[in-house]
Amino acid sequence: MPVPEGVMQPEVPSDNPLTAAKVELGKKLYFDPRLSLDDTISCATCHDPRAGFAEHKPVSDGVRGGKGVRNAPTVMNAAFFREQFWDGRAPTLEAQAVLPIINPVEMAMPDHAAVEKKLAGLSDYAPLFKSAFGDPKVTITRVGQALASFERTILSLDAPIDRFLAGDTKAISDSAKRGWEVYNGKGRCATCHAHASVFPLFTDEKYHNLGVAAKDVDFKALAQKVESHPEDLAKLSHEPGANQLGRFLVTKQRQDLGAFKTSHLRNIALTAPYMHDGSEATLVDVIAFYDKGGNPNPWLDGGMRPLGLTEQEKADLLALLETFTSTDLSRFDDLVKLMPTK
Amino acid sequence: MPKYLTPKELERELRERSPESERLIRSLANCDRRHFLKVSAKFAAMAAAATVIQPHAFQLVNVAYAADAPGAAPDVAFRFAYISDSHLFSRGMTHRFAKAALKAVEDVNRLDPQPDFVLYGGDLAQLGRADELELGQQILKDLKAPVRMMVGEHDWYLDMGKKWTEMFGADHYSFDHKGVHFVTLNSVVEKDFWTAKGYTPEERMNIVAGLDDGRQSRFEVGEAQRDWLKQDLAKVDKKTPLVVFSHSPLYKYYEPWNFWTDDAEQVQALLFPFKSVTVVHGHTHQLLTNKIKNISFHGVLSTAWPWPYAPTGLPALTLQMDRPDPFDQFDGCGDGTFDMLKIGQLNANYNFWDRNPQSVTYKQIVAGIKGGGPSY
Amino acid sequence: MRSLRALFVFAAVAAAGGVWVGVRAEAPTDEWATRTVTACDHRKVVVIEGVRADEKLPPAKAQQVADLLQDLMRYCNAEVKARIAKNELITLSINGLPYQQYVPGMEPPIELVRGKSDYGERDRAIWKAELDKLVKEGDRLFHSDEIGTNGIACAMCHPHASNTHPETYPKYQIEMKQIALLRDMVNWCIENPLEGKKLADDDPKMRALEAYILTQRTGVKMESGKH
Repeated sequence: MPVPEGVMQPEVPSDNPLTAAKVELGKKLYFDPRLSLDDTISCATCHDPRAGFAEHKPVSDGVRGGKGVRNAPTVMNAAFFREQFWDGRAPTLEAQAVLPIINPVEMAMPDHAAVEKKLAGLSDYAPLFKSAFGDPKVTITRVGQALASFERTILSLDAPIDRFLAGDTKAISDSAKRGWEVYNGKGRCATCHAHASVFPLFTDEKYHNLGVAAKDVDFKALAQKVESHPEDLAKLSHEPGANQLGRFLVTKQRQDLGAFKTSHLRNIALTAPYMHDGSEATLVDVIAFYDKGGNPNPWLDGGMRPLGLTEQEKADLLALLETFTSTDLSRFDDLVKLMPTK
Repeated sequence: MPKYLTPKELERELRERSPESERLIRSLANCDRRHFLKVSAKFAAMAAAATVIQPHAFQLVNVAYAADAPGAAPDVAFRFAYISDSHLFSRGMTHRFAKAALKAVEDVNRLDPQPDFVLYGGDLAQLGRADELELGQQILKDLKAPVRMMVGEHDWYLDMGKKWTEMFGADHYSFDHKGVHFVTLNSVVEKDFWTAKGYTPEERMNIVAGLDDGRQSRFEVGEAQRDWLKQDLAKVDKKTPLVVFSHSPLYKYYEPWNFWTDDAEQVQALLFPFKSVTVVHGHTHQLLTNKIKNISFHGVLSTAWPWPYAPTGLPALTLQMDRPDPFDQFDGCGDGTFDMLKIGQLNANYNFWDRNPQSVTYKQIVAGIKGGGPSY
Repeated sequence: MRSLRALFVFAAVAAAGGVWVGVRAEAPTDEWATRTVTACDHRKVVVIEGVRADEKLPPAKAQQVADLLQDLMRYCNAEVKARIAKNELITLSINGLPYQQYVPGMEPPIELVRGKSDYGERDRAIWKAELDKLVKEGDRLFHSDEIGTNGIACAMCHPHASNTHPETYPKYQIEMKQIALLRDMVNWCIENPLEGKKLADDDPKMRALEAYILTQRTGVKMESGKH
């Protein structure tokens, strides 16, 4: 895996060591729309290598017009995350990879048994399973392990900002350098989008309520009900907008109401739109969102507050964020070629 | 965004869907445990896909408020809330202290059911100014439940309580509520340190406003109020539950910061004869629990900022708060409620902002256990 | 007669000294190359033979030089010039007097010219007053609302500078997500809870604040890296 010197390696579960055969199988599965109910949607549909391994839509469209509620996060560098999904409910890539397949509004397979049956019936998979796992048996666990292995090769940590932080003062523009000062100072970005030289992902991997969900008019009322009558959670989770409760649905901790994972910022300029529901279209909108202090709601993270950034500071921040784009993305050109030309 | 269906709508939908997805949705909607176990155990807990929530996958966390609804806790007679130590500057509603006080008012207004009354724990103003007190009054006006005011040193020492008593009435008083006798004291009386030195009112206020400013005197209740208290309590049956509201702790915790009442022993002596006594105090801006003989003491949270614990240590019953994060203006702050139990004792419920709620129950105090685990 | 004898003795010594100096000429050839290291008081000098002036000392030699300088600092007010020969023989000359052989740690080879320190009570009183003045200014700033813009003073969360733990710096500061010195954290607090503008590292206000915070923890063990 192309991880630079001194950077922590992404964790690999001990029961799924990385092998070339698994990567090969995972790659085939990733791009294969036959994994979906009507053979129209593959992982790559919403995690498209041509779009920074994400998608330029606020939320994704699934089989037969199913519409999701979350913005598709980028697969690039996702291997570094401690937990997957915007609410962190999957502890590993293996666990995450197999859930969209059975989500009725995404790839819509009825259950994992059906996935196994379908793949077992496709003759081109048997030899790949054999070389990856020793025998041609198709299990959903193996599907997850293969996809995860492939995703662990989609890493990219070579951007101008890395070179600047390593000491090359010419790596980024003066505007971006001023942006870095704002990022660590007045902009207050650094506390949540934290940078460490051994973990250069620009995330604290924690969950924060920014008030994105508060745009949904039902959120406050629903969250209030949940807070004062937690015994009714089972009933309330069916109400419209319940998914906006975010991390709370996983941890049931009151402080996680409306909280979502801090995104990592590598290649952020490539993965518009932004936030967990894709509600901020461009980075300019994102900066404006933070500048106003997010959206007030009773569970707004205490770190959010109006920043009072000047136009120059906002422009500098934008210039900085653009330096987070890797310069070695041509490595993935062969994957781009696997996308169907529509 | 998908529409979440009522059970009736769900039934109708299912009749129109394809057999494959119908099975999944029906099983999820009806919490079919057998179906769930078929999905590999590792994924079962996470099979709640982004859009459809499996109700029975959740176990409810023992949130403090779960105990608050009278139906859920039959041993609670009534509940009151508190907001305390707002330390308002007269810099309008956008100053962070004003925003925090508004947040507390929203919290209390959101309580369902509403508390019987709200205690304001003192230090409404920061520098005792009339415009600060007026700003505070304006913020508290929005509370739905009735408010009982208590004075703190930051409210008093600019004009020796003139504006406060004009706006809020007597600085010490008592009232009865549902069979409980409540006493509110002015326990931030200080012996005159300003006349001899010729300090102006502003200088006097600034000295008192400095927690670590040693030029001020130690807090006390004072002889006059102790006499008043003695007479007031003489009319109360010893079996009546007693709750004392006081800004200073009514015991001796840490003298350099006036976490201290100089005549604490004499005040406590007046309270000991009662069967159930609790003191609820402000000033310390932290979770604080103590018990001296039959008196329980609960410190309440500030809305403005948290104080550190005294360097010499804290009362043994206190569950120590982790160090707050100064990036987050609300961390370590909050508001809360008290449950008056039918046995006449109080459970304290701390509504920490940006932390999990924390309860300190009478049962825990008697058993000598600190609350269950740190609040992060 | 006596003075003539004294003169003769003096001349002999001088001649001896002269011959001695003559042999030890500092010629600029490699064999006689020397590197000179001067201590911070500018009065203790170590001349190392066999190392060129532009050459870096090897680690073991550098350690030897540093240890020797530390040792020589005992002679607070004297001018001392030490030489480390290529054969490791150390000689030193105190206040310009002839070189004597020296073993580190030994009693001084000659009587010190001045038997005691140059500095007395009065000097110490001045030093203390200067420090107290800086600390007092820091105390004032720490308790004032002029550092931030929202009326909040450092002392509100840190009465008596409690909870500042200056003895634990430098350390990984969680709020900043990087290694911080005390002044970095002071600046972070100025920007965040106090909503003010951060101070330059050499700003007199920063120096005063650091002085106040540090002196509140006099006597506490240094534990850098501890949280």
